[in-house]
Amino acid sequence: MAVGGHFMEKLKQKWNAQEDEKWGPNIERKERRDMIGVGRTKQYANALEKSLGKGKQEVSLNAFAFLFSELVQYNQTRVDNIAELERRLEDAGYGVGLRVLELLCHREKGNRRETRLLGILSFVHSTVWKSLFGKVADSLEKGTEHEDEYMISERELLVNRFISVPKDMGNFNCGAFVAGIVKGVLDGAGFPAVVSAHFVPVEGQPRPRTTILIKFSEEVLQREARLG
Amino acid sequence: MIICVAVVGLQNNPLYIQSFTDGDDALKLHYIVHCSLDVIDERVNNPKKIGSTLNETYLGLLYPSENYKVYGYLTNTKVKFILVTTDEDLKDADVRSFFRQFHAAYVDAVSNPFHVPGKRITSRAFAERVSTIVRSFGTSTTI
Repeated sequence: MAVGGHFMEKLKQKWNAQEDEKWGPNIERKERRDMIGVGRTKQYANALEKSLGKGKQEVSLNAFAFLFSELVQYNQTRVDNIAELERRLEDAGYGVGLRVLELLCHREKGNRRETRLLGILSFVHSTVWKSLFGKVADSLEKGTEHEDEYMISERELLVNRFISVPKDMGNFNCGAFVAGIVKGVLDGAGFPAVVSAHFVPVEGQPRPRTTILIKFSEEVLQREARLG
Repeated sequence: MIICVAVVGLQNNPLYIQSFTDGDDALKLHYIVHCSLDVIDERVNNPKKIGSTLNETYLGLLYPSENYKVYGYLTNTKVKFILVTTDEDLKDADVRSFFRQFHAAYVDAVSNPFHVPGKRITSRAFAERVSTIVRSFGTSTTI
């Protein structure tokens, strides 16, 4: 994915600042290493030398909303049609999905790898959603028409909360970003799939709810049948 | 005494290999790591019905050769960690905790937005962390 200079610069600065914060500039690293052998209870001279705590597991919603709106606007000026825009958002989410999978598998106690379809789906539906959006997804359903289709629905996707799509953009859904995240998680775990986001109108509510449609590829179904 | 650690990716491509003793030939270590990949594949694809579950990440002692022992660990994304040590009795708990710390360092390295998944890990911070973990291996018994 070719991302322009401005966006990369900001990301690079943020990453460097984080690395510096973690390890300190080069001069201090040696002293920090010398302190490791001191003993289990470390006494620090001042608050600055305490190791960073786990921190709050949350990021402010405003910050994310601004960043996401900037991401959408940035891509909007560089594409010619809606499909291309959806694909770009999906690609952006794909990288997030891969990394989220690594992180969550490591943090989850139990040391288990998911090899079954239902296992990985319920992992996405609860664990991934909980860590990304703070709650589990609203529902997980199996498609009735085809064997390989599953749907995760959400009344109001977090990323869509502050976005209203103009009429001339038709069916475009910024949930394509979340679809990309799910695709990244499934691909990383070894379940290649085509994932897309759709609006599904619901009676009695002004805003339609969003459905993430997951269509697994042939080999996944064959493997699942083989495992019995 | 740890001789070398290696991270091998999805398609069995090496992502990170680091040796910690001066004496040994790098090529020989590459060869040992490569052979152990076969053992991992066979363990994963033909699970023994009795005992270990199919889904464990820690694979344990892969094979003892004449002066080395090789331990393996498989993550959820099919990334394999290989640990080559000298031939001495190591407690299982020690090796498990080593892999846990190593996994933490690996996750941090991959979370880097500039890391392309599937390419070699070039982060200096990762290399430093791995050296720290290796150095404290075996000396600390309590976590």
